[in-house]
Amino acid sequence: MAELTLDGVTKVFTEDDGNEITAVDEVSVDIEDGEFLVLVGPSGCGKSTTLRMIAGLETITSGEIRLAGQRINEKPPAERDIAMVFQSYALYPHMTVRENMSFGLEESTDMAEAEIDETVEDTAELMEIEELLDRKPSELSGGQQQRVALGRAIVRAPEAFLMDEPLSNLDAKLRATMRTELQRIQNDLDVTTVYVTHDQTEAMTMGDRIAILDDGILQQVGTPLECYHTPNNRFVAGFIGDPSMNFFEMAVDDDTLVIDRFEYPLKPAQQEAVAGRSHVDFGIRPEDIRIKDPGGLSDNYQFEVTVDVVEPRGDENTIHLTFDRSVDDPVTFTATVSGLRDVSAGDEVIATFPPDSIHLFDTDTGVAVHNRTFDSEDATKQVL
Amino acid sequence: MRNPLTVLRRRLSKHRELRADGGTASQAGSILDRDSVRSAPFWLPPFLLVGLFIYGAIIWNIVLSLTNFQGLGSPDYTALDFENYVIAFFGGTPSWSELTVSPIWNSAWNTVVLMVSFSVVCLALGLVLAILVDQEIRFENTFRTIYLLPMSLSFVVTAKFWLYMYNVETGLVNLLLGSVGVGPVEIVQNPDLKLAAVAFALIWQFSGYAMIVYLAGLRAIPTSHFEAARVDGASTLRMYWRVIIPQLRTATVSALVVLTVFSLKAFDFLFSMYGGYQPGPSADILATRMVREAYANGNWAYGSAIAVILFLMALAIVTPYIYSQYKRGEL
Amino acid sequence: MSTETGWVGERSLFGHSLRRIILYAVLVGMGAFYLIPIETGIMTSIINPASYTGSFPYLPPLEPLVPNTGEFSLEPWQGAIDGLGQGLVNSVILVVPATILSGLLGSMAAFGLTTIDWRGQIGIYILFVAGIFIPYQAVLVPLTQFWYNVVPLQAAFQPLAALPFVESYHWKLVALIVTHTAYGLPICTLLFRAHYKKLSDEMVEAAQLDGASVATIYRRIILPLSIPMFAVVFIYQFTQIWNDLLFALTIIQFGDAAVVTQDLVGIGVSQSGTNFPLRMAAALLAALPTLLVYVFFGDKFAKGVAA
Repeated sequence: MAELTLDGVTKVFTEDDGNEITAVDEVSVDIEDGEFLVLVGPSGCGKSTTLRMIAGLETITSGEIRLAGQRINEKPPAERDIAMVFQSYALYPHMTVRENMSFGLEESTDMAEAEIDETVEDTAELMEIEELLDRKPSELSGGQQQRVALGRAIVRAPEAFLMDEPLSNLDAKLRATMRTELQRIQNDLDVTTVYVTHDQTEAMTMGDRIAILDDGILQQVGTPLECYHTPNNRFVAGFIGDPSMNFFEMAVDDDTLVIDRFEYPLKPAQQEAVAGRSHVDFGIRPEDIRIKDPGGLSDNYQFEVTVDVVEPRGDENTIHLTFDRSVDDPVTFTATVSGLRDVSAGDEVIATFPPDSIHLFDTDTGVAVHNRTFDSEDATKQVL
Repeated sequence: MRNPLTVLRRRLSKHRELRADGGTASQAGSILDRDSVRSAPFWLPPFLLVGLFIYGAIIWNIVLSLTNFQGLGSPDYTALDFENYVIAFFGGTPSWSELTVSPIWNSAWNTVVLMVSFSVVCLALGLVLAILVDQEIRFENTFRTIYLLPMSLSFVVTAKFWLYMYNVETGLVNLLLGSVGVGPVEIVQNPDLKLAAVAFALIWQFSGYAMIVYLAGLRAIPTSHFEAARVDGASTLRMYWRVIIPQLRTATVSALVVLTVFSLKAFDFLFSMYGGYQPGPSADILATRMVREAYANGNWAYGSAIAVILFLMALAIVTPYIYSQYKRGEL
Repeated sequence: MSTETGWVGERSLFGHSLRRIILYAVLVGMGAFYLIPIETGIMTSIINPASYTGSFPYLPPLEPLVPNTGEFSLEPWQGAIDGLGQGLVNSVILVVPATILSGLLGSMAAFGLTTIDWRGQIGIYILFVAGIFIPYQAVLVPLTQFWYNVVPLQAAFQPLAALPFVESYHWKLVALIVTHTAYGLPICTLLFRAHYKKLSDEMVEAAQLDGASVATIYRRIILPLSIPMFAVVFIYQFTQIWNDLLFALTIIQFGDAAVVTQDLVGIGVSQSGTNFPLRMAAALLAALPTLLVYVFFGDKFAKGVAA
């Protein structure tokens, strides 16, 4: 059984002019056997470098990577018992699908030709690509190439799968299909998988757990819902979720948060969390904001705002709201409302920021000091 | 349900070879695992060949140019001096000869004249041809093939053809001149026309090359630029002059460098045209002078010195080119 | 016709039909300029030297139909084959191995300096590229010294001369093969490197993960993918080496090992004047291999020179 452990893994690149750049900084994650871990972050965050270190394509500056309890830092890629699916699929263009899938077995085992053939055919059957075996990659569609690339990885029966943005070359529709397909295969094979993507939707929908990287530093590891509802810091809160969480930098005035345009009263627990700070970042997700027609404010969590822009998305609308359109630099935020609700630019509405849905972050460090009310047990039950 | 991967794993486990060699990822590993070392069997033998034959020979040539070597026995490397360069620049009677040796100014001047006239005309003609061929014409391939055809010929063959073309009595050039009432004119041995005749024949041979380079450059310009200029109301000539030709800078520079170096190598042509080492003073270029001094006159060290000067000329042209290529990351 | 301009695209300088006629006239005229020296050579090469007058060098020999055009004869070609035969054989012995060696080594160098990525390789590569532009005069004297006085190749070659088809003068051709290989390497490396830079890094990494060693990656992945480039490189090198005179002149100098370009320089000149039919036949015969290669693989040749 193969659990994959990253223990303080660090990668420092030395540039030609001698400058040192830390691409990955002390990343530690335990990936359980059979787990699907998605490594997500903006481009240049070090996620690909991390994956390449696991694959053995990049040296490890410090720290340790263990597969099934064994240190693999010094092992060459071929001996790590790991297979990788690349963004470009990286099929060998001059070989047929059969030859593509046999190549690894020929080079890394002493299997007889007949046995290799049988293994390749069994795997092709599993992947439903038997009828493609004698074609060249150039004769395949993007989705078929994707399957062949997966088949080539599976045929070597690795202890762990690494996938580097494998769906990014597919069109949107096929991508959605392959997403489900990949999850099914991963589930059937029950193989430890590390999946790299910059797409937070992919991360949310596919991962058992997701690990969010920024600037080489691991920000949070958790289930998609944990990361969504209880982000460790402002970066995670802003990165996960689309449209992004709204942030306001606010001054702390005892039991109230203050900004030019509005004041927000805090509950006792929230007051405790911000105690001793002069400023905090106030965060609220667009879908937590409730919108109603004007007609008087019933409590202190409600504000009179104006609709600036409406972006219809069909099932729901993303609306951009502002406290005061007339000023040059208005405070704006977004909210999502049902697609059936009729709003248009210029409408006056009342927005509610429910107190159990707000997040508070330290302005300087970005660390979350208070997250919204979230019971992971409940959430898990709901998902199941 | 049995996990297919487990089945595969069981099958493969009997066949896994335990290899100890070929580490890629071991930074702590031995120096033998570095990529530069592992790829050395591929790049090192060619590099040694290039290093020995090109760079070793250039250095050796520089040393030889400081000796008085005249081909007999082995060169005397104990007494090195710059006498050959003094002779090359000022002329005079060197210590290793009783005869007066003339300086290289004449052949250096001819080299520059040939180089500049040949390159500039080749580029201009090549650009015009490339623009004409780029007019969505029919039989484009045929025209291109014909224009580039002389490039596949040897300098020696070109020289034979043009020796015939230039012939006083039977040459086509004189027949054409005769038909308009001029001539016949002695061309090949005429001191006033020699260099021009050489340049003309070389232009015939290499202008197709300039065309190919320019054509590739033109094809790399997106059609939208032509369309944009059209929409802006630019006349066709203005469009080429203001929009298109400025974008051919890279093509011009690389064609220019290659053509210049070709002209420095024009020795084969002159040797064949004049049937030996004596093209005469008005067509003598550094390349012929160098070979004549070394191989005909036996002034080996002096020939080496001329070769060093020729080498420095080439270096002056090529170094900025390679440097700019390097800066732009195109190497 | 007003529709005439319809298929003329945006790039066109010559929108109207009159302009297009002028365009084609210029293109054909330039074609004639490039072809006429060769055409004249071909026509002259099939004239019986005894009947040659030189009045109409561009016309085929049509005597007695057209006076003063000379009589048709293959005698000049016969003479050219006799005069250049040995040179042609020597050139083939030289060109084939030198072309293959420089191509193969160039591909290996480019692989080691491109596909396998390591720090400092650009410095090595710049030395290769600079080699393309070296005027060969700068190395001639050392080369002559090297092959005649430093390497005892001539002596070492003597025992081999006992073998069938091997002659003692072949040592000069061996020296020339090595020389041409070395000086052809820079351009071959450049051409292959341009090709290898376009190959996917991920594919090479996939092969590494599949357990392929550096040598296996070259043999099973890179080499099969280089075949189109080999065609370009071989054609380019074949032309360059076949056409060279300078190295032959300074390394072979004279004697039985002389290659075809050397033989061609002196052919057709005698006390009694120039034998133009023979000379043209010889020039065409010497150019025939490269001309054939060019006619059949012109697009690949163009790709090689444009790189």
